[in-house]
Amino acid sequence: MSGDSAATAPGRSGARPQRPVGRAAGSRWGRLFEGGLLQGGVQGSPVLRLVMRWVRRPLLPVMRLWRRNIQLRVVATTLLMSLGVVLLLGFVVIGQVRNGLLDAKVNASQSQATGGFAVARQKADEAAGGTGTAPVSGDDTETTDGRQSQNVIQWMSDLVESLSSGGAGAFDVVTLPVGDDSGGGRSPRGSGNVNPSSSVPADLRDRVNSSTTAAQSYTRIVYSNAKESQPGLVIGKQVNDPNGHPYELYYLFPLTQEEKSLSLVKGTLATAGLFVVVLLGAIAWLVVRQVVTPVRMAAGVAERLSAGRLQERMKVTGEDDIARLGEAFNKMAQNLQVKIQQMEDLSRMQRRFVSDVSHELRTPLTTVRMAADVIHEAREDFDPVTSRSAELLADQLDRFESLLADLLEISRFDAGAAALEAEPIDLREVVRRVVGGAEPLAERKGTRIRVTGDQQPVVAEADARRVERVLRNLVVNAVEHGEGRDVVVRLAAAGGAVAVAVRDYGVGLKPGEATRVFSRFWRADPARARTTGGTGLGLSIALEDARLHGGWLQAWGEPGGGSQFRLTLPRTADEPLRGSPIPLEPKDSRRNRGLDDAGLARGSQEKRATVPVQPGGGQVPPLPARASGLAAATPAVDPSALPGNGNGARVVPRPAAGARRPGDRSGPPQAADTDTGRPDRAGSEDATEPGEAFRGR
Amino acid sequence: MGDDRGRGARHLPGRAVAYAVCGAVLLSGCASMPDRGDLRDVESTPRQDTGVRVFAMPPAEDAEPSEIMQGFLEALTSDDPEYDTARKYLTADAARTWRPERSATVLANGPSVVPDHQPAGQEAADTLTYVLAGTRVATVDAQQAYAPADGSYRNRVHLAKDAKSGQWRIDALPQGVVMGKSDFQRNYTSVGKYYFASGTTVRTTGQPVAVADPVFVRSKVDPMTQVVRSLLAGPTSWLEPVVRSSFPTGTALRKGVSELAPDDQNRLTVPLNAKVSRIGPARCTEMATQLLFTLRNLTPTLESVELQAPGGHRLCDLREEAAESAAWHASAQHPENLYFLDGKHRLVRLPAAGTGTGAVPVPGPLGRGERSLRSVAVSRDERTVAGIGADATNLYVSSLEPDGRLEDPVLSSQGVTPDDRLTTPSWDAGGDLWVADRDPRDPRLYVLERGAGKPVRVTVPELPGHIRDVRVAADGARIALVVEKDGKQSLLIGRVARDQGSGDGPAVVELRSAAPDLEQITAMSWAGDSRLVAVGLEQGGVHQMRYVQVDGSALHGPAPAALSGVLSIAASEDERAPLVAYSEDDGVVRLPSGAQWQKVDKDGTAPVYPG
Repeated sequence: MSGDSAATAPGRSGARPQRPVGRAAGSRWGRLFEGGLLQGGVQGSPVLRLVMRWVRRPLLPVMRLWRRNIQLRVVATTLLMSLGVVLLLGFVVIGQVRNGLLDAKVNASQSQATGGFAVARQKADEAAGGTGTAPVSGDDTETTDGRQSQNVIQWMSDLVESLSSGGAGAFDVVTLPVGDDSGGGRSPRGSGNVNPSSSVPADLRDRVNSSTTAAQSYTRIVYSNAKESQPGLVIGKQVNDPNGHPYELYYLFPLTQEEKSLSLVKGTLATAGLFVVVLLGAIAWLVVRQVVTPVRMAAGVAERLSAGRLQERMKVTGEDDIARLGEAFNKMAQNLQVKIQQMEDLSRMQRRFVSDVSHELRTPLTTVRMAADVIHEAREDFDPVTSRSAELLADQLDRFESLLADLLEISRFDAGAAALEAEPIDLREVVRRVVGGAEPLAERKGTRIRVTGDQQPVVAEADARRVERVLRNLVVNAVEHGEGRDVVVRLAAAGGAVAVAVRDYGVGLKPGEATRVFSRFWRADPARARTTGGTGLGLSIALEDARLHGGWLQAWGEPGGGSQFRLTLPRTADEPLRGSPIPLEPKDSRRNRGLDDAGLARGSQEKRATVPVQPGGGQVPPLPARASGLAAATPAVDPSALPGNGNGARVVPRPAAGARRPGDRSGPPQAADTDTGRPDRAGSEDATEPGEAFRGR
Repeated sequence: MGDDRGRGARHLPGRAVAYAVCGAVLLSGCASMPDRGDLRDVESTPRQDTGVRVFAMPPAEDAEPSEIMQGFLEALTSDDPEYDTARKYLTADAARTWRPERSATVLANGPSVVPDHQPAGQEAADTLTYVLAGTRVATVDAQQAYAPADGSYRNRVHLAKDAKSGQWRIDALPQGVVMGKSDFQRNYTSVGKYYFASGTTVRTTGQPVAVADPVFVRSKVDPMTQVVRSLLAGPTSWLEPVVRSSFPTGTALRKGVSELAPDDQNRLTVPLNAKVSRIGPARCTEMATQLLFTLRNLTPTLESVELQAPGGHRLCDLREEAAESAAWHASAQHPENLYFLDGKHRLVRLPAAGTGTGAVPVPGPLGRGERSLRSVAVSRDERTVAGIGADATNLYVSSLEPDGRLEDPVLSSQGVTPDDRLTTPSWDAGGDLWVADRDPRDPRLYVLERGAGKPVRVTVPELPGHIRDVRVAADGARIALVVEKDGKQSLLIGRVARDQGSGDGPAVVELRSAAPDLEQITAMSWAGDSRLVAVGLEQGGVHQMRYVQVDGSALHGPAPAALSGVLSIAASEDERAPLVAYSEDDGVVRLPSGAQWQKVDKDGTAPVYPG
């Protein structure tokens, strides 16, 4: 954005730092600058930022694709939303199935267990009743507490076996002593390798201990052999043994089948959900493609239209909305093409008209000229008033002739008829010739013209006539507006470019004038004295000459601080320019010297100390403007002043003006006028004042 | 492109219909249960063990003496490998001296715990005596041999309160464990250990004959290792005089070996101690045969065993097929034919495996019906047949060759009535023929060596009555006798003591009851290595047919379907051969597995399998 050079395409002018060719300094700034641009708002340590960068780098193409591809976005959104719907549906369905399965299982288990408890009580009653009649056959164990001694070890094992034999695999039976695990000398029993104490949860045992009703709980059934534990339902009740002692009887129902059913449902749902999601994604892709394909086609056609291929049209099939869009689009393109064609025709007609007028004026002018010359020769014999008129006539005829010549030249440029006759020339020769030619004027003005940078040959492939015309224009302008101060012509060559800068210390340019000086028939302050007549077309022609070389012609100036015009040419004719050896803003500008327009100190003391005023010297320090980063003080190239192909002049407005223009193509209209060339307006303005030449030739 | 589209459009209807039909067929196939196809094998899943387990718990803090007794007795029925939990109920001294493996006493209804009545004041406050009482059913001795027992059981258990901890513990108790009958059946399983009969070899091949020696091991406590240890320790004392073990004396499992289990190829590796390091391959094969026969009894899927000497090097390994050829094993023999006498007094035979009833007469004189017979016995090689004449007076031995002749009787009886004369004869694997003379005046048991020659009288020193029937086991080392005393017939198993050059002649010694609860045995036959099938009358019951174990223990598993009027029964040691009976009403009938009794021959009598 600092306008010393603008090598890149105008569209990307903000993306890269620019620095003068041949200077390595400032790369540190450049890196910081680059980091700052890429990182955006990321704060924190550089390591963190590096990591962020490293993470983001592979994602960038994906994000770019995401931003650019509406089809991808729609498909991804569809996938996400259908996934959410499927998940929600899955949860609901699985929950319902689970509850249904559990309800059925719990009902069946409860009736089974209730029956089992009844059987256990009945068996205990039978055994207790049997003690009296058939005690331990024939043994004299009947004592006062004979019921106590009734053997329940075998009875209970038999009970568990008979209860569990009814449902091998469907349920298991466990008995536990009341109280803690070692209560009353009883041992836990379990069928089917169930580990009784760890399979029955402690809170269920508490509940069963404290009440006589049955209780149930879910648990994990643990097996004492290698079998894997599994979820189960356990129903327990406190029952009395034949001796009247209570014990806990539990039925354990493994939920293996229910788990299998549930996992079947889960698997089915997952499969179906996957299919649904994938199919929805595919459907969305297909549907969006139907819409997006014509839109993409329209975008392509519009791009081609904007690139100038006005005959492009959309292919329209059917009668749907897309077809209507296409028809409307095609109609618009047709109208545009017609209008543009009309305008082009008009423009061409006008140019030819100007060219024809110039030619046509030439013949009568020659006659007028000869007549005027005769009158001028004979002015001695006239009275003073007539004699003065004859002189005036001759002067104005000179002006008229040069104006006609310039008009012809411009119309040649406009018609594209200008041809470049490039050959290697030493610019020092050209400069010497120009300076020599301007010496008389300079002496008259009291101006000294200094040439620097002419120790080495400055060779470039260029058309010597055109370059000389440009330089003469610049030097004469500088002397004209130098107000008697020195004019410095600097030559430099570096990289693939050569440059000639003409510096004066005159009134300089007001803000915004740097872009306007190249306008046709543009006039500065008409009140200023003019000693030489200009046509108002000199800088326009110079700009066209520079553009013909593939070079740049740029102006810089500050009010009261003088101005500098710089011509940059490629070393070989067909090589694009990437930079200029001479900064556009001279190092002895007020801003560089730390003074603002009012002459107050702007920078710090150190800056003033380290950047002394040095009018000469080949080595150019880095632009101090860089030090202030991207601050508003940085002079900005106004791309609106640039020709379309980027090889033309770069015009830098005065940065301190605060009127920094946004870097887009919709610049201020008056700037656009300089480029598109509206000679009618400028011409109509200035034709009324033919004598008001400012910076003419 | 346009051409393609045009062609596609032309074919579209037909193709769409085809696709739709295919889809509909597929969908309808998926949406209904298959009704054909997908033929494949079903892999057998092991039956789920539903057995009840008792989880022994250590004594609680400050447990009452009665709780200590209860907990201890429960711990005896648990699966605790070394009874460690049960020992926690004992004082330290008692725990050291108590040997639970010494014996197991089976009581009919489990032990009752009764406080001993001591005269008041004789017992201190910190000691207490309980009496364990019950009705004895059986005992298992230190060799794990089962023996039926009766009478009452009464043993004292003394508890003392530890002075320091204040806890009651048992400080004096009988050795061994005691439990109820159903707990015993849950916790113990019967396994036949196999040894070789020292006196018998197969006559034709010279193979050693394997003898089963049933023992009881705890079924849930590493039974395979227990069985192997028991096998290595040698036969039980009852069988010991007539069998030999091929394991050198002192052979044991290598120290620290436990949890023997077959690998996934049904192969078991048995590491042995240094006693076997100088064993030749033939002896090693015999050892492996013993192991394989024994362990297949416990794990029928076992296919091979490998013996390992110390240091891990392989002594030999043996597959099941090789074992069958290494030793003769009754339950591995498959009888080819069932023999019986048809209505024309001819000896006919019938393929044992088939279901047909078309019996054909055997070759030789008996098949021609030259003499009417009462009963027959066919030798195990099915070459010779012994027959008892119709009046049971004479014993004939004849060849089954077509040109054989009917010889003169080799033995005659002087009994008055046919029921007092000769019994049905019986052959062992060595080819000896056993028969008894039921003459009440001179009851005798004879053996005919090789089925020929002079009948040798066999002494039966402990015979409690008269022999009514005799069946020698295939191994020739054991003999089943039906002995009548006081009008009751009981089934006894005796050991056959061969004449070992002492001149005493053969004898049947140490008779023991195989079916203590059966009286009035009317028919019996060997039905396995250590199993018989007997028809008898249970105490206070009706006639029934039942399998019994030679050691007198009850067998799990179903009894054969009931049949009335059974006069004789024939079974094979091979369990696949159907049971065959001669019934008063229906003649010869047979019981294929999983079916009901089927008639074979209405007029037939005296069915026998070889043996």
